[in-house]
Amino acid sequence: MRRYNIFYFFQQAFKGLWRNGLMSLAAITVLLSCLVLMGSFSLLVYNVNVNIEEVAQLNEIVVIAELDATDEQIAALSEEIAALDNIKEVKYISEEEGLESERFRYGEYSYLVDDIFENQENILPDVFKITYEDNSRVANLVYQLGQLDHVSKVNNRTDIANDIENIKSGVSFIFVWFLAILFVISIFIIINTIKLGVESRNREISAMRYIGATNFFMMTPFIIEGIIIGLISAGLAYLLQTILYNAIFNAMSNDYKMISVTPLSEVQTYLILGFIVIGVIAGILGSAISLRKYMKV
Amino acid sequence: MIEFNDVTKIFPNGTVALENINLKIEDGEFVFIVGASGAGKSTLMRLLLREEQVTSGVLRVGDYNLNKIPNYKIPYYRRQLGMVFQDFRLFDKKTVYENVAFAMRVIGEPTSVIKRRVPTILSIVGLVDKYKNFPSELSGGEQQRVALARALANNPRIIIADEPTANIDPKMKMEIMNLLVKINSKGKTVIVVTHEKNIVDYFQKRVITIRDGHIVEDRIGGMFEEDETV
Repeated sequence: MRRYNIFYFFQQAFKGLWRNGLMSLAAITVLLSCLVLMGSFSLLVYNVNVNIEEVAQLNEIVVIAELDATDEQIAALSEEIAALDNIKEVKYISEEEGLESERFRYGEYSYLVDDIFENQENILPDVFKITYEDNSRVANLVYQLGQLDHVSKVNNRTDIANDIENIKSGVSFIFVWFLAILFVISIFIIINTIKLGVESRNREISAMRYIGATNFFMMTPFIIEGIIIGLISAGLAYLLQTILYNAIFNAMSNDYKMISVTPLSEVQTYLILGFIVIGVIAGILGSAISLRKYMKV
Repeated sequence: MIEFNDVTKIFPNGTVALENINLKIEDGEFVFIVGASGAGKSTLMRLLLREEQVTSGVLRVGDYNLNKIPNYKIPYYRRQLGMVFQDFRLFDKKTVYENVAFAMRVIGEPTSVIKRRVPTILSIVGLVDKYKNFPSELSGGEQQRVALARALANNPRIIIADEPTANIDPKMKMEIMNLLVKINSKGKTVIVVTHEKNIVDYFQKRVITIRDGHIVEDRIGGMFEEDETV
């Protein structure tokens, strides 16, 4: 069986790109814009999630032990808390440490604390400050803590945890839809670009058909053309994204230290891979769809 | 051999383009197909090219039954045909050499074979010295000779020429027809669809006349009847 020369297909694809220069440029520009938008949005969502996680980590549950609990009972309670699921860290604050903390809080008026609590015992309860692993399972943890012996009260901010979870789900939902819409727009643009290229060569394609060209032979250069458009767009999008992101990163690092921005080096592999995959898929799909009606027998 | 057995073609809008066509063209024959516009000549060509399927009857070309040929085999079937069009349908951005070479490239011929064969074919049509020219730099007759060379590139069994002399000057018309006769003398079947009475009368070949979707005359050495032309 005769084999086609792969170099011929690449040569035709590059010729096609060159011949339809303006349209190729338009397709690359639009795909590049879509990729940068996708990239920017992905990075934004990623950073929002990172910051949300950080806020979530500030959340802690405060378990207040009964005032009359003995040291042995407190020790047992500490072990029981540590053994629970979803516990990240347990910090024990004794009565003395609690008083110290109060003195610190009152600063120059700390003598008031001493005046109030002077000569009194068991004024402040022992306290456990707990951080947890998973926001979504906080309610369960709070319930388990409340069931333990010698626990007087469990203070927590489940409402904040729930809000954070809701924000994360909402952001992810918008993210997926936004990406999908941008992807469809990219494909639509490529379809039209390749279609113009195919239409301008319709006479040629019809002559090829009469000569006995297979659909594979006719389609391959156009598909390669789509892949090249995708790759060029991905490369340029990555460059542009890097410039944009680094500029934002530098600005945010200097001015808004409260917000943490992930350095690009941490996500660049995913970013370039994402651009290449999306660019190439958009290129192939765009070419294939636009060629469909021309590939009749 | 080309064989139409009771072939009818009715288009989806109800137009009966061909009705009960029975026709045999033997290997190596030279046939003129004549008839007025709308008589059914184009439909007959499209059926031969397998651009259209017969509505009823059987159409066979060589080993292929065109009623049953699967789509993926159609390109391979078409490689047995060499098509020549009145508007030449050359690749404008390819040189004469590349136009002919392209036909061979399409079927996956290796470059070494292409390099050997293209000059031979160009010498048959008398265009060796113009191999570097682009179609726009050639006269109508020369462009048609390139089209003929391209049709011959893959050594087809059948040459189908659709009004091959329509867009070229009178002097060149005879040259093209002589080339077709020469190709026929090498054993290839040649089918020429034409309106040109002088040519049909001059060459005294088999003439099949189509009118309103029917074959009304099939004569060897036949003369073109004036009232059947446009």
